[in-house]
Amino acid sequence: MIYLAIRSNEKIPWVEKYRPTSIKDMALPVAKVGRQKVNLAEELRQFVLDFFKEKRNLNEANQKIRAYNRSHEEKEHKEELKLGLEKAAILLEGPPGVGKTTIAYALANDLNMEVIETNASDIRTKAALESKLRETTKSRGIMDFVVQSKKKIILIDEIDGIYGVTDRGAVPTILKLIENTQFPIIMCSNEYKQSLQSLYNKIRKFEVDSLTNEEMLKIARKIISKEKISNLSVNDLNLIINKNDGDLRGVINDLQGISQGSSDKDSKDLILKLNRDSTEEIFALISDLFQKVNSLKEARDLTNKSDVDYNFLYKWVNENLTSFIKRNNEIANAFENLSLADEIFGRIRKNQYWSLLPYFYDLFAGGVVLSRKIRSSDEGYRRIVFPRYTSTGFFSLSINEKSIVEKIQKKYKISDIEVVQEFIPFLRVLCNSSRKQLGNVSNWFELDAKEKKILK
Amino acid sequence: MISEIPIWRIKYLPKTLNEVCGRASVKNRLKEAINQRNFPHLLFVGVEGIGKTTIANLFAEEFLGSYYDANSKLVHANVPLSDEEMKLARSEAYVSTNKLGSLAGKKITTPAFIQVKIKPFIQLKVLGNAPFKILIVKSFDSLASNQQAFRRLMEIYGTNCRMILITTNISKIIDPIMSRCQIFLIPPVNFSSFKELIKTIAQKESLKIEDGIIEILYKISEGKIAHAIDLLQLSSISGDAIDSETLYENSISPKNEMVRALLLMCFKGNFPKARELSRKIQTSYKFTSQEMFQVMLSELEKIPISRYTRTELINLIAESDFRAIDGRDTDIQVSNLLAKLCSFSEYL
Repeated sequence: MIYLAIRSNEKIPWVEKYRPTSIKDMALPVAKVGRQKVNLAEELRQFVLDFFKEKRNLNEANQKIRAYNRSHEEKEHKEELKLGLEKAAILLEGPPGVGKTTIAYALANDLNMEVIETNASDIRTKAALESKLRETTKSRGIMDFVVQSKKKIILIDEIDGIYGVTDRGAVPTILKLIENTQFPIIMCSNEYKQSLQSLYNKIRKFEVDSLTNEEMLKIARKIISKEKISNLSVNDLNLIINKNDGDLRGVINDLQGISQGSSDKDSKDLILKLNRDSTEEIFALISDLFQKVNSLKEARDLTNKSDVDYNFLYKWVNENLTSFIKRNNEIANAFENLSLADEIFGRIRKNQYWSLLPYFYDLFAGGVVLSRKIRSSDEGYRRIVFPRYTSTGFFSLSINEKSIVEKIQKKYKISDIEVVQEFIPFLRVLCNSSRKQLGNVSNWFELDAKEKKILK
Repeated sequence: MISEIPIWRIKYLPKTLNEVCGRASVKNRLKEAINQRNFPHLLFVGVEGIGKTTIANLFAEEFLGSYYDANSKLVHANVPLSDEEMKLARSEAYVSTNKLGSLAGKKITTPAFIQVKIKPFIQLKVLGNAPFKILIVKSFDSLASNQQAFRRLMEIYGTNCRMILITTNISKIIDPIMSRCQIFLIPPVNFSSFKELIKTIAQKESLKIEDGIIEILYKISEGKIAHAIDLLQLSSISGDAIDSETLYENSISPKNEMVRALLLMCFKGNFPKARELSRKIQTSYKFTSQEMFQVMLSELEKIPISRYTRTELINLIAESDFRAIDGRDTDIQVSNLLAKLCSFSEYL
């Protein structure tokens, strides 16, 4: 087999080297349509075979229609038949590294077909998109006529990043190309997009989940035994798998990274570095930001240098501001900047005005820390905390709360919000007045001990 | 005999339309509708807490008689959908192809709330010998732009299901909805009926209460019966005769009290503690940031400060509320407000 021959070449990424080439070699991910579990391999296989069968029937029927049209006048012409959209394309939706591309290639290999892969999010103008898609779906090169070449399957990756997905221009383009395709199309996407809803209504969508941690552990162990790596224990593998959160490609890349990293460092350190890198980095960044920065430029440089996600970083600033800034007027000044930054950020996300991002950076980093007039770098250690508080802005109940709300609603019909905001506080005051009241109330609502505690 | 209900406001809930306290004109109009076995879509308008939902429920019960359980439904429009319901809405999302006027030819998707909570009910036919089903929608004004979708539903399914829409703020209801409904302005209870009710309760619970106290009770609770009964129950716990002091003591709701304590803490200038307290309030009452700002505003009105200061502070709250609309993290906006209030303390 091909892969044995290039096995000895170290330069091949392990993701490619160990990619299964046949469906029977794959650990199949779980797939669902709506809420029903399906066998993804079987469904895909059926889809591809049906496509070609339908196409053949369609072509025969169309030939007869063309013959009919040639011998009749314009007004009696019949229209040529088109293939139904749901027979022409399907969509695989799932997080990265789960097996969507792999299963398409493995299936093609099993059916002795080729895959033409193209990436939808690479293309930046509508015209380029249309021309590229036209050439992939309709390609019948000259060799196809000369030699009986293999049938093709078209794989369109990252359909959720396609040009126009933010403003509804995408779906008509996609539909047009599906209509006239000569080959079955498999599309891959990472997440649900509201603007593609009309697409989801026309073709089948399979939601693909990631493999379980146990399955990934099995694969990881197979790889490290083949590559003869001896210094990774099962614990270390589990660390890597957990960090990657369902992304098998990420796991394999990390394995390769560790084994091919610097040989004089202990590999365990490397793994731990993978984990702690982010949190330690943020801690250092925050203390430097508050204690060492003296100008706007320095603040900019500091935040640019790190690759900490800015989505998170400004929450850290919010949480830890009071450890460093103590005077009320300085706190007010700092928060003014932070609040403006948050508003700008919201507008940026909503309207996609990404050119305003530098203002956001300057405000939440420089603007906040420079609110302090007197800074010294030898201030000493200040405690930094993780931004644990999340205000979701939505009304949501924890499981304990849900159970007591349901029991109350059985006897007294009011909404969830009224129960939590008005009725339970009233009950608390009532029950605090006497043990008897607490007993009466919890008996009447049939509360158990845990729920009774909420009323105390 | 059912066991004694420990909570008075539930115990003294009216069980028929006649038992509803006061509001004779509304009751008469509704009785007419029951006699004629027919009514159009209804819109109940009134201040919150005066009994609109209770009246709507009792009316539906009397109208449908024994077919009430199967043919009526109460929906709260301000409670957001849970995760499972959102998933259900997405996975079964479909497209409406009804063509009406300027929307002809366009494909429209229905909002999730309507898909999951409303449509399954009104599309089913009436069960049993009732003229139509009844759907009661509470807090209808919180639907904002989704009211348009309701307009179509009322037209299409009108013969199968009548709607009773309940709202506190008529200016938030769009005109097409108002024109499709018969409007009922529900007033608070008048004093004489209120007095009668309180006297009945006092007799049943063996309480001593004077007329003058009932007047104070009426004033404090602003004619809202449920609040008044709660207050009565809390004041009666000590066992003594109820006087005006106990009433005033018990009338402060814990939620408002906590926000007031928060404001006072800000005026003392302790920001970290203030932020902690505000987060505690938000989690235990599940306030959205907008509700938080509103309660802060109403509590601010009760604190004795100069008019100039009050205007400045209202400005601060307004600014934070405004920014919270576009911002991504409401905790930052609330913290900003608290920080400003704390720094303001130096001038007080």
